[in-house]
Order: sequence, then C-alpha cells, then structure tokens
Amino acid sequence: MRILISIVLLLFVVTGASFAQEGPETGEETFKKRVLENTEIDLLAGYYSQDGENAAVTGGRGTEELTDIAPTIVVSIPMNEDDVLTIDAGISAYTSASSSNVDPFDGKGPADPFTASSGASASDVYANFTGTYSHSSDDRNKIWTAKLSVSTEYDYFSAGVGGSYTRLFNEKNTELSFNANIYLDTWNAIYPYELRPFGEGGNGLNNNLFNRIVGNEPYAPSFTEFDGETRNSYSVGLNFSQILSKKIQGSLALDLVQQEGLLSTPFQRVYFSDKPDVFIENFHLADDVERLPDTRFKIAAGGRLNFYLNEIFVIRSYYRFYTDDWGILSNTASVEVPVKISQKFTLYPSYRYYDQTAADYFGPYEEHLSTEEFYTSDYDLSEYTANQYGIGMKYTDIFTNFHLWHLGLKSVDLRYYHYQRNSGLTSDLVSGGLNFILEK
Amino acid sequence: MIQKIIMGIFISAVMGSCATVKEYEKVELNDPDMSLSAGKVDRFQTNFQAYREAAAGANGGKTGGGCGCN
Repeated sequence: MRILISIVLLLFVVTGASFAQEGPETGEETFKKRVLENTEIDLLAGYYSQDGENAAVTGGRGTEELTDIAPTIVVSIPMNEDDVLTIDAGISAYTSASSSNVDPFDGKGPADPFTASSGASASDVYANFTGTYSHSSDDRNKIWTAKLSVSTEYDYFSAGVGGSYTRLFNEKNTELSFNANIYLDTWNAIYPYELRPFGEGGNGLNNNLFNRIVGNEPYAPSFTEFDGETRNSYSVGLNFSQILSKKIQGSLALDLVQQEGLLSTPFQRVYFSDKPDVFIENFHLADDVERLPDTRFKIAAGGRLNFYLNEIFVIRSYYRFYTDDWGILSNTASVEVPVKISQKFTLYPSYRYYDQTAADYFGPYEEHLSTEEFYTSDYDLSEYTANQYGIGMKYTDIFTNFHLWHLGLKSVDLRYYHYQRNSGLTSDLVSGGLNFILEK
Repeated sequence: MIQKIIMGIFISAVMGSCATVKEYEKVELNDPDMSLSAGKVDRFQTNFQAYREAAAGANGGKTGGGCGCN
C-alpha cells in the first residue's frame, strides 16, 4: 500500500513540475497534420487451447480442456483532421469440456468429471462490439475519447461506457492520462443440473434424476438460487508516460476497480467435507455452487520501460503489482526483445512470469465446510505461479506494395505463446493480424 | 519485498532523467516497437490472462466487467 501511495504522490509531483515547464501555446507552429491519414483495417484472430485437471465447474477436480477461436475486425476511420472513430467487433467461439459438465448426465456414457459431456453448455459464442470516438486538440496536446461497448454470450450480457482525457506537455515528452469506465453486466444464471430441482419451482428429490443415485447416502445440498444477477464494475485509471532519453521511455499506470453484485459464477460447484458424498455413475453431486462476496475492490499498479538498444534490438519490460480485498496479492513481470532481422522482418521472443496468492475463500475439492460463509474451488483463485514463453514475427511494408482491392497491406503479425502453471494447467495461444490501409 | 525493490528501481529510473528530447531527436523513440502500449495482436494474450488469472488492470486490458471473467 505504501508503494501505491508513493506512486500516486510521484505522479502528482511530476505532473505539477511538467505543467510548470510548459510554454505558452501562442506562437507555436500552426501546421496541423491529420491525426490519422487513412482508414486502417485490422483483421485479427486468435486460437487458444488449454488443458488441466482442476475444473471449477466440477469443484476443482475434472477436465479443464477448452478451445477457443476469436476472429476480430478493427476499423479506424479519420472523421476529419482531429477526430477518429474506431469500430471494434469480434466473436469468440469456444468449446469447453468443463462447461459441458454443467450437465454431465447426457446418457451417452457414464457421467464423469474427467470426461466431456454433450450438453448445451459444451460450447458458446461470445460477441462484442466497441465504438470509440477520439478528438485531438489543434496542437495535439489534448486528447479526449468516449467509448461505448456491448458484449453478449448465452448466460452473460454487458454494456459499458467509458472515456479518457490525455494531456501531453513538456514538448510531448510527458503524457498524463485519466480514464474511467463503467460496465453494467447481467447474468442469466445457469446452475449445475443436479441442483436445479432445488431451485425455485423445482421438485427436489422427487426429480427422476435422483433415481440413479449410487448407494444409500442421502442427498441434501445446501443450494439456493442467487437473489440478484447483476454485476457492476466501476474503474478509474491514471497513466503517466515519460521520455527519459533519446532511447528510453517508460510509463506508470494505476487502476482502481470496484465491483458489486453477483461476483460468483453460478455453475461452479463446491463440495463440503462435512456432507455425505453422493454419486450418480462417476459423478459427485454438488453440495452447492461457489459463494463469493458481492463486492470486490482491486488495485493494479504497473510500469513499462522500453530501451532502444540499437538498430537490431529493443528491450520492452513490464512489471505489475496487484492486490484486492479478497486477499489476493500478485506480481507480473515480462520482457520482450524485438529483434529486427531485416528491414521488413522482426522477431519477438518473450518471457512472462506471474504469481498470485490464494483468495481467502479458496479451498480445493472437498476441503470446504458447509458452515463457511464464502467458498470457491476455482483454481483461478488459488495460489500458483505461471511461466509463459512466446515467439512472434512481424512483416512490415511501409510502402504497402501488396494490394487487395483498395487495401494496401502494411503489416502481418504472428504470435505463439505457451503458458504453464505449477498447479498443472497448460495452454497455448496462436494469434495473428493483418493491418491494411485503405487507399483513396 | 521483491516487488518493492523492482518498483524502487523503476521509479528511480523514471526520476533519474527528465531532459527534454526534441521532436527531431525522437526517431528511435518513434519506432513501433518502442510503443508503451500493447500491440493489437496482443489482445488475445491479455484476454486469456484476464480469464485465467485473478490479477487484471494496469496493462491496457480490461479491469473487470464486460465478460464472465474476473
């Protein structure tokens, strides 16, 4: 916390000093270059796959296999000399073995937390749309942006509004930016299949499903449906960038986030050690779903430092400290070293380290007690460290020699990342992008 | 302790030099790889990390809201 206070104080001190250094605007050069010369189009796509054996849907034990494909288009349109409209639209289509086990009783084989089911929740499509409008002042030292976003998936809808104000001074050596965002989200709560008979209007143990229970243990879950299904997030952020020399620049960022509402994921099971274990086939019936507090306050503070070593090497470094009132402390550090192997090709080897402590409410499979107020077996909230290794390549043609209709190809990006947690989860990500310029 | 040391080094580096660099001296700083924000293609990396990790924010990505994650 003392570090965060120091950073905030530092930002205010430096900001004040830099404002004091700023010269009068009168008499400055009046030539005005367009903020964006041509419409730019980015076609992006990502393919993600993961595997592990700590699925939150099945209480911290079960397959986490998941694949996701996410095509996206980003179009930036110059509206006039000062204004740019950016449209960002994409979908993300996933298939998930763990989500499929929201309903593992599909009758196509023994229900089992380590085997995917064919239920409706085995796949879903997330669609998002964001529109951002930015305006720059004549001297390009002030930038305002306004943003609207909407996203939807089967059990989740989100509407967001945000804005930012950026001020450059000290001959554009210093930049201070403030942003604020509000997201108003709504769940369409989906509960584990065996708990639904105990929800509103359900027939409890009279449901035919329970005729399949193995043995004579009584099934008596602690489940009740959530009262509210909204989740609101309010965030403010401060970003300070500074050129330090002709070859070095850095930035500091501080984000504060307050969340309220349904912060639990309604289909993530929990098993209590003080309740009888009841099974259908190989599947342990849930005692409840995860219960998390309905507020969460997060603080993230990070810094970047980039060095232009020479015409071949650049070093890009990043560090972030994170904490929240659920008891999580986290460190993230990464380094990327772009290597210009020719005028048009650059390689991007990278490494990222991540660690976090466990949330106060986390417990593994069957280690919670039914007397606790809050509980989850989601390993995303457990203690772990993760290492990520990446490699990428970028082709850049500033003269856009290759054309597709009126579109000139400016760059092609390709990235691969391998991610590994010490708790067992592994994932791979391949992403790519084509950047086109619309020529008049 | 480690994060305090790293943050201290970073703040020292930031405060260590505030000499003004003129526009015509920014050729190397204007190299796209010197950008202080993540590239567009990095969004997929930031997104999956926001889903799989408790920490988010201070990296230009989402800080919470807008998806069932975090």
